Amino acid sequence: MPEPMIRTNRLTQSFDGVIAVDALSMEIAKGEIFGFLGHNGAGKTTTIQMLTTLARPASGTATVAGHDIGTDPLAVRRTIGYVPENVRLYDTLTAAENLVFFARLSGVAAPERRVKQVLDLLDCTYLAQKRVGGFSKGMRQRVGLAQAILHQPAVLFLDEPTSGLDPMGIKMLRDLILRLNTEFGMTIFMNTHLISEIAKTCTSIAVLSHGKLVYHDRIEAATARYGDDAALEELYLSLTPAGRLAEVA
Amino acid sequence: MSDVTSPGRLIARQSARFVLRERTVALLSLMFVVLVLISAWLGWSATSTVNRIYLDAAAFLQSAGQPVPTNPVLDISPLSLMRNMSVYVALIGALSAIVIGNRLVGLDRKAGVLPLIGIRPLGRNAYAGGKIAALAGLILGLAAVVSAAAVATFLVLPAVTLTGLQWAQLAGFMGVTTLYMGFFGLIGLAAGAAARSETVGLLLPVTLWLTLTFIFPQLTANLNPTAAINPLSALAVPPDTTFFHWAARLLGPFSLADAYKFASAGLLDYLPVGITSPSFIPPVINLILAAGVALALAWRALTRLSMTQGDYNV
Repeated sequence: MPEPMIRTNRLTQSFDGVIAVDALSMEIAKGEIFGFLGHNGAGKTTTIQMLTTLARPASGTATVAGHDIGTDPLAVRRTIGYVPENVRLYDTLTAAENLVFFARLSGVAAPERRVKQVLDLLDCTYLAQKRVGGFSKGMRQRVGLAQAILHQPAVLFLDEPTSGLDPMGIKMLRDLILRLNTEFGMTIFMNTHLISEIAKTCTSIAVLSHGKLVYHDRIEAATARYGDDAALEELYLSLTPAGRLAEVA
Repeated sequence: MSDVTSPGRLIARQSARFVLRERTVALLSLMFVVLVLISAWLGWSATSTVNRIYLDAAAFLQSAGQPVPTNPVLDISPLSLMRNMSVYVALIGALSAIVIGNRLVGLDRKAGVLPLIGIRPLGRNAYAGGKIAALAGLILGLAAVVSAAAVATFLVLPAVTLTGLQWAQLAGFMGVTTLYMGFFGLIGLAAGAAARSETVGLLLPVTLWLTLTFIFPQLTANLNPTAAINPLSALAVPPDTTFFHWAARLLGPFSLADAYKFASAGLLDYLPVGITSPSFIPPVINLILAAGVALALAWRALTRLSMTQGDYNV
């Protein structure tokens, strides 16, 4: 059995006594595009923050690419890329200046050349010399994705990557995610609300509700059991508070 | 470990570059530099005028066969010509240092890039070390401008030659100046990292600066604010009353503006005989202790800065 790329063992986080993530245990294999579903406040972002070592778990352990997030956070950071829900950059700098800075911080050799390569890859070289302050959400999302893959990470964490994007932007991002997965073998961990995107992009899914893992399976198993997008939506709603409210209504 | 120190150096270099692009920082620093140059020019101009008048008078007296008195320029230590600099350092220099310290971390928090920095392979210590190193570099840069102005003044002044000891005293003054501005820069950095909002992060150190510069000297030595910024009247003897006796004992060690003024006066040879600092701790030691405390506060605030909740408006 190959070592899973991400493994969590009773990972728990709480804020002021309120449990945000409750003993989360799961495994994500190498090369997966993993869709993490859940209602607002379910604990998806908190999970990403723990796995990316931005926040320390209250209890439990996790490994990313074989490195323990608690005992070897620097090794974890070398293997991951992260795109937050709202990509924020130095507005007074150009996209290229921002990217060179983050490339250097990631220890990328020849950062200027790498930035050019990545901007080419993401088809956005026209943004390079423009100041980020005037960028639209979609432009920021592209530069955000660029900063996350500068150092060719093994795992890419995306927090609500399609949030606020128009349909064109969503399609562009979906294509990029698929390309990064197939061409570069990146394992993708994606928080999302969009069931349709899960069905089109992901190879496995999990549903988090009030910090608890309530469903985790491969996408084929889920679609075989629940059918098309609409049925997946039914599955999601039945597992989350919104669904239960709908049932009551 | 090069893996850790190298990102720290990068943080230092980039932070300093970003801060220097800030208009507020650039304007304050420029104002400080201009005032320092003006104070150096005033010292040079006053001394040159007195010296020129003396030389004319000496020539006249000599031609008239009268005895020629000694040059008044040489009656006082030439170092005291730099006394106005201590005022500009205590006012605009300290304020510049606060703004620089605050913006060094405030820029990251305002931009909202802490999560993107937090996921890079650098430890929190490297981040904190980088920010403090950037501050040290910028404060040393300002101090270098002050030093260059002072050295240039002495090199071009006629009739004035500094001894080796006086050059050492001047270097000591620059060291004390760096320490004083460094204290305020570190407080700015600490408040910038610890405060929840940008405004509070700037208001806290500015309030501390106002308190140390104007309120404490009033309590320890009965100096009104205008006297507190005059290099000579700021060295007055406090009234001999129980209140001022106890205020000096209790607040003296915290009255850093006093400590800086007395340290400067001692090093630049204009401290009147018989007047001592209100603090029972020697002024230079006082400043070193304060800078040490500020360094500890800045380190603590920076290493505890949340990479997920640290951005403003999160």
